[in-house]
Amino acid sequence: MKKIIAVVVVAFVTVALQAQFSKATLQASGLTCSMCSKAVKVALEKVPFVQEVKVNIKSQEYTIVFKENNNADFDALKKAVEDAGFSVASLKVTGNFSDVSVQKDKHLQLDGKNFHFINSSDKVLSGEQTLTIVDKDFLSAKDYKKYSAATKMECIKTGKAGNCCVKDGMHSEERVYHVII
Amino acid sequence: MKSLRILILSFVFAFSASAVNAQGPIPNITDYRLDFTVVGMTGDSISLSSLKGKVFLLDFWASWCGPCRYANKQLVKFYNKYKDKGFEILSVSLDDEKSAWKKAVTKDKITWMQGFDRGGWDSFAARKWQVDALPSSFLINKNGDVVGINLEKDDLEKKIKELLGL
Repeated sequence: MKKIIAVVVVAFVTVALQAQFSKATLQASGLTCSMCSKAVKVALEKVPFVQEVKVNIKSQEYTIVFKENNNADFDALKKAVEDAGFSVASLKVTGNFSDVSVQKDKHLQLDGKNFHFINSSDKVLSGEQTLTIVDKDFLSAKDYKKYSAATKMECIKTGKAGNCCVKDGMHSEERVYHVII
Repeated sequence: MKSLRILILSFVFAFSASAVNAQGPIPNITDYRLDFTVVGMTGDSISLSSLKGKVFLLDFWASWCGPCRYANKQLVKFYNKYKDKGFEILSVSLDDEKSAWKKAVTKDKITWMQGFDRGGWDSFAARKWQVDALPSSFLINKNGDVVGINLEKDDLEKKIKELLGL
């Protein structure tokens, strides 16, 4: 009986561990003035889960609004920018969290994606929260170096789970987004 | 009958969308698909088609566009050199803020015609001319035909002189 209760509790917690991402802000960089080309905006607008792209000249950022009940694939945003001939200088994703406890240097599944919180001390996230992706090619090489030194885990280099979490049921090829908050 | 009319209209629309097309006939500023009116520095309105008969450069830019500001330096030289020979420039800014636009015009010492067309890539004039990068410029002859796109430095000067008969 105890076991059943435990299973029920675990199932409930898993469901409650929810986050839905609604938008992102992105900065692009390149050899030429990235805001002077329409290419990045057009490429981002073509990403299937993207509802709308707004250009903010002052902050040199693109605000990307996701479609509702999307399954946002952040790698697709990076690919769109790169296919347009630029690179990602910064990508921040905003979502609505309902009591998600995060631990430093631990993997966590949210909205169907794996996250690795690099810098946050143990805390509970609720309401609207913004995460900055610090995987390679999602920020400047200099900043990437800084964050990759913050963890000893191999996954920061590959963006894949590797051998780190096989015992938790993660396949070695699974994508892990490294984030700071 | 009604559906036929819609069909014809949609055909007309489909073709009209590509008025600035390298393969098509030479675009002309009197074409209603290319004409626009922008607000000048003193609040006056400037229409593109009113410039017919002049050799001029239609230049799209914005204050936040570094390469545009750099290009302005060159344009200032050409303008000062050829304005008395009949050369004109109409710059259209895609800035969002009027104050930023006016500040840049003053700073870059621009004395030619300046128009403001808020809305960035979605602004009316930028959409009509299919502008997808800044700066973008179109050199126009006395007949109103577009005879050069994104010409720079020596190429631009050579063509200006040719059009002015110098």
